[in-house]
Amino acid sequence: MADLSAPLAAIATAAADKLGPDAVVTERAALRTYECDGLAAYRCIPGLVVLPRTTAEVAFVVRRCHELGVPFVARGSGTGLSGGALPVETGVLIVMTRMTGIKEISVDDERAVVEPGVVNLNITRAVSGDGYLYAPDPSSQQVCSIGGNVAENSGGAHCLKYGFTAHHVTGLEVVMPDGSIERFGGLAADPPGYDVVGAFVGSEGTLGVVTEVTVRLLRRPETVQTLLAAFRSMDDAGTAVSAIVAAGILPSAVEMMDDLSIAAAEAAVRCGYPDGAGAVLIVELDGPSAEVQADLAAVERMCSDAGAFELRVAVDEAERVAVWKGRKSAFAAMGRISPDYIVQDGVVPRTSLPEVLRDIAALSAETGIRVANVFHAGDGNLHPLVLFDESKGETDRAESVSRRILDLCIDHGGSITGEHGVGHDKKKHMGRMFSEVDLDVMQRVRCAFDPAGLCNPGKVFPTPRLCGERPGRKSGVHPLQAAGVAEIF
Amino acid sequence: MASDPVADGGAFDAHHPPSQALIDDCVHCGFCLPTCPTYLLWGEEMDSPRGRIYLMNAGLDGEPLDDTMVRHFDQCLGCMACLTACPSGVQYDRLIEATRSQVERRHPRTRRQRALRTLVFNLFPYPRRLRAVRPLLRTYQRSGVQRLVRRLNLPPAMASMERLLPPLTPPVPVAEHRPAEGEQRARVGMLLGCVQREFFSAVNAATMRVLAAEGCEVVAPSLQGCCGALSLHMGRETEAIAFAKRLIETFESLAVDAIIVNAAGCGSSMKDYGWVLRDEPGWAERAAAFSSKVRDVTEWLVDLGPAAPRNPLQLSIAYHDACHLGHAQRVREQPRQLLRDIPDLQLREIAEAEICCGSAGVYNLLQPETARELGARKAVNVAATGAEALVTANPGCLMQIATALEEQGTPMPLWHTVQLLDASIRGVPRPER
Amino acid sequence: MAALQPASVDDLSTALRDSTGVVSTRGAGTRSRWGGLGATPDVVIDLAAMNHVVEHAVGDLVVTVEAGVLLDDLQRCVGEHGQWLALDPPIGGTIGGLLATADSGPRRLRFGTPRDLLIGVTVVLADGTVARSGGKVVKNVAGYDLGKLFTGSYGTLGVIATATFRLHPVLPARRVVSVESDTPWPAVREVLRSPATPTAIDYDGIRLHVLIESSESAVDAQADAVAALIGGTVTSDHPGGIGSRPDRTADSMVVKLTFRLSALDEVVAAVREEAGHVPLQAHAGSGVLWAALPCDGALLDRLRHLTASYDGAAVVVDAPDEAKRSLDLWGPVRGLDLMRRIKAEFDPDNRMCPGRFVGGI
Repeated sequence: MADLSAPLAAIATAAADKLGPDAVVTERAALRTYECDGLAAYRCIPGLVVLPRTTAEVAFVVRRCHELGVPFVARGSGTGLSGGALPVETGVLIVMTRMTGIKEISVDDERAVVEPGVVNLNITRAVSGDGYLYAPDPSSQQVCSIGGNVAENSGGAHCLKYGFTAHHVTGLEVVMPDGSIERFGGLAADPPGYDVVGAFVGSEGTLGVVTEVTVRLLRRPETVQTLLAAFRSMDDAGTAVSAIVAAGILPSAVEMMDDLSIAAAEAAVRCGYPDGAGAVLIVELDGPSAEVQADLAAVERMCSDAGAFELRVAVDEAERVAVWKGRKSAFAAMGRISPDYIVQDGVVPRTSLPEVLRDIAALSAETGIRVANVFHAGDGNLHPLVLFDESKGETDRAESVSRRILDLCIDHGGSITGEHGVGHDKKKHMGRMFSEVDLDVMQRVRCAFDPAGLCNPGKVFPTPRLCGERPGRKSGVHPLQAAGVAEIF
Repeated sequence: MASDPVADGGAFDAHHPPSQALIDDCVHCGFCLPTCPTYLLWGEEMDSPRGRIYLMNAGLDGEPLDDTMVRHFDQCLGCMACLTACPSGVQYDRLIEATRSQVERRHPRTRRQRALRTLVFNLFPYPRRLRAVRPLLRTYQRSGVQRLVRRLNLPPAMASMERLLPPLTPPVPVAEHRPAEGEQRARVGMLLGCVQREFFSAVNAATMRVLAAEGCEVVAPSLQGCCGALSLHMGRETEAIAFAKRLIETFESLAVDAIIVNAAGCGSSMKDYGWVLRDEPGWAERAAAFSSKVRDVTEWLVDLGPAAPRNPLQLSIAYHDACHLGHAQRVREQPRQLLRDIPDLQLREIAEAEICCGSAGVYNLLQPETARELGARKAVNVAATGAEALVTANPGCLMQIATALEEQGTPMPLWHTVQLLDASIRGVPRPER
Repeated sequence: MAALQPASVDDLSTALRDSTGVVSTRGAGTRSRWGGLGATPDVVIDLAAMNHVVEHAVGDLVVTVEAGVLLDDLQRCVGEHGQWLALDPPIGGTIGGLLATADSGPRRLRFGTPRDLLIGVTVVLADGTVARSGGKVVKNVAGYDLGKLFTGSYGTLGVIATATFRLHPVLPARRVVSVESDTPWPAVREVLRSPATPTAIDYDGIRLHVLIESSESAVDAQADAVAALIGGTVTSDHPGGIGSRPDRTADSMVVKLTFRLSALDEVVAAVREEAGHVPLQAHAGSGVLWAALPCDGALLDRLRHLTASYDGAAVVVDAPDEAKRSLDLWGPVRGLDLMRRIKAEFDPDNRMCPGRFVGGI
């Protein structure tokens, strides 16, 4: 503890006393393991790590931080891809992984109340015996936490039909940045007042620390049909998707992978996708049997018409899992075909997809940097995987390609992030999507929650706003900038 | 990123440090976290595979091998569940082995730690020494002394060893040679093991009978020694190499089609001898030839295909995947298939099947508190199946889970897979102890 | 009192910036009596001239409209391409009014409420500041979601100028399964647990109606299954039982009760006990019940106490003026302090519809 600053030392002592010594981490080697989340490109050793077990413990720590003016960052499973849980060097990292209780399940009310460290998939596991599930299914769902999902408004392959976390959270308990505890919403619908739950979900941990989440449960659909269609080209696959959408069919998921991603997935998990595919489409339909069967027949026809050379419909759950295995391991599998890679996340209107994919291909050819494409074809959310080799000095070129892909997204009226969030990674791009006024107005929300600016500072917004400021007039340097905690882009 | 793997003051020296290339395979995705027993217990990054790899990387980068780092490496069970879960194919087994060797060589242990390790490694890998203490332990158990001792406040490791000791029964003789019954389909060597041999000879006897019944001539030389698994998994490199060489020598002259192993931990190491002896001049081919013949008994029997008719066993059992069989050797289906082939036998799956029971070699002696928690967790899951008995393929697991079940108040018979096959083939209603 | 009718977002910005005093916003006036009485406005912003469909991206199922567009007009426009905005409140009104009150209809069961379908918004604050949030694509997590904050804010944070929604394909075939019941919850529960995916389950106090909408080839199978399950009859009409909300009369107030789903029968019974067989409409699969009740503070308190025990609320949506003056319209509000701070950030001079909303906001 000799290395800790006075305020951090005070918090460490208080936390060890109140939470127990096993809840406080101060050794350098251990602190280093927390220096990044799923985006290892950004690292910052936290000043201190605490692992609370209850809401009261979280509130205790946050209150001490508030009293001493110490910034704090909340972290779940550390799988985020935008650096949202990147610690602050002078601050406390509050790790929520010990709050793993499922407090209440009521299938009749279609609600579950869970602690934020509960793993996403474990919610579904807890209710699957009753025939229910929790819908948002990010690919990392076996490890990501619901608290993290709330912070990022996580989606997943099935958000095309079922929406994102914001559509499935009806209540929150939050430790506010001053250490007080608030509840918003609950088990019932339409709580009176402003939709604070709606504003909080997706706020990337900047408005407070979630300590309890009330989620909606959905009835497992009667029938799920999963189709894998192989095409010679991405254009063909895209044509099939357009036809599906135009026919008024709403699949629960439509995913596309290009030849490079197929190769990587094959190397990693041997998914056995058809040979010679320039693109594969995974279309999943769910709902009442009659509806699904009718839709499936239509989708198969449309895929064939668009030039699919092989169609496979999964006959049982095992085959369904096998079809998805390739898609779900796609990111992690990139390590098999490239020493380094950047996972990008951008959105374009679905109708712009073919053009944008062609532009990406051109970009790749121009720079000699390979780009593997995996994406949610149903809603235009791209995940280009920019492959490079750092040891060959390709890093700069790769980062440039990654940035230019985001440019494409913005130029086509899309978004700089569909799912992974802005975090630390994309602060610098916010100014291209929103005007300064837009960002200023958004930050008024932050000022209402966190006037002291201690809650996950330096995330989402490129320029921190001094609370109490009149819009348009900026006075002086923001203290967090002066402290080197935040930067202006 | 270090281009030179050994930085000044850094954790590792130049003799086989954990490989930077293997470390770089990790993309930090975290898929390993939910299957890691220590992460499940504590929720702390540094006690997860991702975190331990991060520590190794930090060590290569120049962070010192301090007590903190060593503690987190020591707390790893080596269960290899992360190997199964990792989508990037990170070879964590190689990494932790290399790291443990470095720790053993470079990190000073306390006197107590050294004493315990000396005791363990001077006893367990030596069947003759185990045989020598057997009668003493039997007397200890059957007299009132054990009851007295259990009321004492023993140091945790001693208490753990004491708790885990299975009720000792008279040893079952195991011949050095057994001819095949009926048409001979193969000639196999058999590993007798150390703890298995001296404390669970009934399992070895059953193994031999089943192999013979399935048309295998079985050779089990009495001179054979330890396979070195314990030493290998604990980073005691020199010792492991010596044991490996001797075992290879023992079996390579026997002209067998396969070398059958009925202990998960042993089989896993023996399949790896090529790697263990990679630096030893002249041994690479011999080790590779040896390893290519190593089979777990259930693997072997499924490959052969059943010949001896099976009789019904009216029994419901829960099958526990020993980590070194399920994760390290990826042998999961074969034992289940063999068990399902026994008429009337009801096979039940255990929740959290991929989570280690806490035995993990001698982990339950070196980290008794953690092992106890994991054992208790496993016992809850086992009891929840409602099965009448537990079946598993490792003596360590067997002792660990038996103890945990008893402490939970839900004792049940525990058998090796091969004992059930034996009972079925011989037409007896239950395996014999 | 000035009445302004901006024709564009810029006009609207100027109108707000150059005016002073209390502001009230007006669309079609269909919900102007909702909420608190509010201070008498000095300026009324009438959005009648901001009634254009800005863009309908057919292939993307996305539409952007100015807030003065009537819901019915929007549906007609996108309906030409077989699409619809999945909102069916019994009152049409403007998109702005719909968003400001977060009103919804029976099909919220399947499709959600306005905040679930809104993907982008342009708002204008009291000082004329124009701000955008969200965008034109459904998948978007960049920045804070001001749209959700403004939805249901009763105009107290600013004026919604334009809104972008995600659309759904129209479901061509329709069947209604109806059954009479005094205690509908068991039947509702059966339907919710069944494989059927109704678009609405509504209870009008006498009959339970389950609305099945699907393709022609698939609709009957579902409807028949549901009918068998609850012992109901199938029609293809759209009877008045779905979507008609009780109206306020001269001496009654319209109250919206919310509660956990399984408490439906208890809430219905309480309403019956307190007020007899008054008109009511329950969205039975959503835990929402609308009723026209006598203007009685004690009655309101009792019902509020009951719904609170089911983790819900009782809100007086509309009532005669004297009732609005004397009754607590909103009840206890979780997080009210924070809401006041949010209001202070967006409207520091308290110009926007003061007194219409919770806690005197």
